[in-house]
Amino acid sequence: MSLLEVKRVSKRFGGLKAINDVSFSVKPGEVTFIVGPNGAGKTTLFNLITSVFHADSGSIHFDGRDISHLTPNGAAEIGIGRTFQLVKPLRNLTVLENVMLGAFLRTSSPAKAEKEAAKVLRFLQMEKVLHLPARGMGLPTLKRLEIARALATQPKLILLDEVVAGLTTSEAMRLAVLLKRLPEWGISTIGGIEHVMQVVMRVADRVIVLDHGNLIAEGVPQDVVHRPEVIEAYLGSKYKEIAS
Amino acid sequence: MRKWQVSIAACFLIAALFVPLLVPTDYTLQILFRVFLFAALGLAWNLVGGYAGQLSLGHAAYFGVGAYGLALFSQLGISPWASVLLGVVLAIICAAMIGRVSFRLRGPYFALCTIAFAEVLRLVAKNLPSVTGGDVGVQVPLLFTQSTIRSFYWSGVLLTALAFALSAWIERSRFGYYLMAIREDQDTALSVGVNAARCKLWALLISAAITALGGALYASMFLFIVPDQVLAMDISTEIAIVAMLGGAGTLLGPLLGSVVLESAAEIFKNVFKEAHLLIYGVLIVLVVLFMPEGIVGTFTKKLGLYKKAPSAPFRAPLPSTTEEESQRIAVDE
Repeated sequence: MSLLEVKRVSKRFGGLKAINDVSFSVKPGEVTFIVGPNGAGKTTLFNLITSVFHADSGSIHFDGRDISHLTPNGAAEIGIGRTFQLVKPLRNLTVLENVMLGAFLRTSSPAKAEKEAAKVLRFLQMEKVLHLPARGMGLPTLKRLEIARALATQPKLILLDEVVAGLTTSEAMRLAVLLKRLPEWGISTIGGIEHVMQVVMRVADRVIVLDHGNLIAEGVPQDVVHRPEVIEAYLGSKYKEIAS
Repeated sequence: MRKWQVSIAACFLIAALFVPLLVPTDYTLQILFRVFLFAALGLAWNLVGGYAGQLSLGHAAYFGVGAYGLALFSQLGISPWASVLLGVVLAIICAAMIGRVSFRLRGPYFALCTIAFAEVLRLVAKNLPSVTGGDVGVQVPLLFTQSTIRSFYWSGVLLTALAFALSAWIERSRFGYYLMAIREDQDTALSVGVNAARCKLWALLISAAITALGGALYASMFLFIVPDQVLAMDISTEIAIVAMLGGAGTLLGPLLGSVVLESAAEIFKNVFKEAHLLIYGVLIVLVVLFMPEGIVGTFTKKLGLYKKAPSAPFRAPLPSTTEEESQRIAVDE
């Protein structure tokens, strides 16, 4: 049975078809990556799944229930965690407090929330920065903080929007090693990535390729990157001929 | 940082217990009543404007409803203290309605909306003479018949202690964290399951209840109220300035702000005579320009009481990788 099922979802912003008739599903414990050039609709898709926007047509089911018309906080409550492409830390709070905020979703006790947050931060190897304020942190740390906050809500599915954008390749690869361990926590992952293919190849069980709001390819990473339509979307039609 | 804020406030409130023993004049006690009253109002405002970061400039609405509640319900033959309670309930109902509408807006639009609601209430009170007495005003019953000034002083101290204890408790609770998260970034708060609309509304309801209590005390002290006095913009801004001057979003801020602002107002009145408002205004401008985070915010930074961010750009310790993996990373690069 699939954990998330997106069925024929479309979303329009005025004359722009941001997402056009997209369907896919995610199994429990699976790591799926959505790749696509800038403007392909990755973030819109994430915003639809977390109910920031509602789809014009189609439906989204999570854990067997229709979540097409939830609220963003409602989506978090039923177990969908997310990170933001442009990091959104609570700058005046410490790293630990930022993560505690996520943990408060499952407990009202500050002591318990602190314990849970510390556990997550240990996993992400951020123990040394626990009590420092989030402002002034570098991007690699803030990207991790986003993930930590989402993990602390104990989600079943976590959406990572452009999780390695702005990181150097080695920083990105180190983060990828951690992402690969997420299924150990019983968490399914959907990552969105523009072009750091090394991370996708390393971590993803499955890849979905979006282009101008259309799903153009789906499958295991090694297979998908060689398809002519994917090469065309990324490099233009000239390269499609060379590849085929 | 939190610990010393609580200690200073506790010392201050304990010191307040001994003030009446020093046999001060009624005049001094009256000033001190005002100091404590606005400290309590500032603390109440701080829940919405400080912790949750929603700049309300319409708290006169709840203040005025509390004041008019006491006056009008007691005219119906209800005992004064029961009237105070009814006024508080009425203020909570107003807050629920105002909050529902205004919290849909963010930033300056929210602030404008709160001003509009307070102004509407003021104009209604002015233009309904059959109910509120209009501009002629209405008489307010005395809440304390014996040693009046002292009793008002005590009630002011008590209200401040209550508002402070409530704030201290909220600050440490999940609710407090949620309010701060909403202030820092509402989208982030939503993404971790915070029901931002409900949290903001609860903060406003609590804030309105305390503000209405303050309004009732104030009205009873003056014995007579008119709309332009208890529902005026002046009240709204004074409450907000008290909290912001001391430090919005801090525990000690509103208390300190009230001590500084209210005593400065009184001293200036005696020293500068007609020019006192001018000096007072200039002082507020200077504080806002040079201490935008308020007295408490500025001093905690200056004294290094706040945990400092590392000066060099920080790099988190990166996860160890296995030998095989690091080789592959090297190849990829």
